Amino acid sequence: MAVIRIQPDDFDVAAEYDRLRHGAGRSGAIVTFTGLVRDFNSGDDNASVQTLTLQHYPGMTEKLLGDIVTEAQQRWQIDDVTVIHRVGTLRPGDQIVLVAVASGHRREAFEAAEFLMDYLKTRATLWKKVGTGESEQWLAMKDSDRRAAERWRKPESDK
Amino acid sequence: MLKILFFGALGDKAGSESKSLELASGNTPEALRETLARDNPELGWALAEPQVMVAVNQALADWQTPLADGDEVAFLPPVTGG
Repeated sequence: MAVIRIQPDDFDVAAEYDRLRHGAGRSGAIVTFTGLVRDFNSGDDNASVQTLTLQHYPGMTEKLLGDIVTEAQQRWQIDDVTVIHRVGTLRPGDQIVLVAVASGHRREAFEAAEFLMDYLKTRATLWKKVGTGESEQWLAMKDSDRRAAERWRKPESDK
Repeated sequence: MLKILFFGALGDKAGSESKSLELASGNTPEALRETLARDNPELGWALAEPQVMVAVNQALADWQTPLADGDEVAFLPPVTGG
């Protein structure tokens, strides 16, 4: 049963991995990705990130994450999925997001995890604001993230 | 009444993350945008940016979606989660 959580609290990667490992028991592969708050904000010369605040749309975010997970389960043979995204004010080095996928073989696990992360970056209703001590600024979506999500788009003829 | 939500930088421009407006202020998201722009031109321009999306009752919607009393309308700038 997929676990999807939006929460301010930190998560325990080992505990989440154990849940997948001791789940259905047939998985031969588990891929785990964590995203952390980086210390360097590439938009500002020499200004260091002091805080990263994550805002989200309660209700809609959970629904969209459910939709993204359902799509992954339809596209790949996967046994179980965990997606945890933190919200609130975080600091450099803090964990932001966990995506973990258990499947029979590694290809599905790697691809589904990457798909989920690319869609988290381009579809989930979350917004980041960076605080550098001097100012706070809302981040803009990166072109590289938009392009990364594009590559999962199915050709029209597949429908 | 409509509940209007402004996320990300749109909240800064609107002066608050949420407002209540009468359905008479706009019976589509586009009409709401025009009403909001009259009192706050900077907000109006920000809402008119092509990448801004709109959700009605927590589902992505068209700017011409007809609204009903009690609806929740959210203006969403490009997302940056993950």
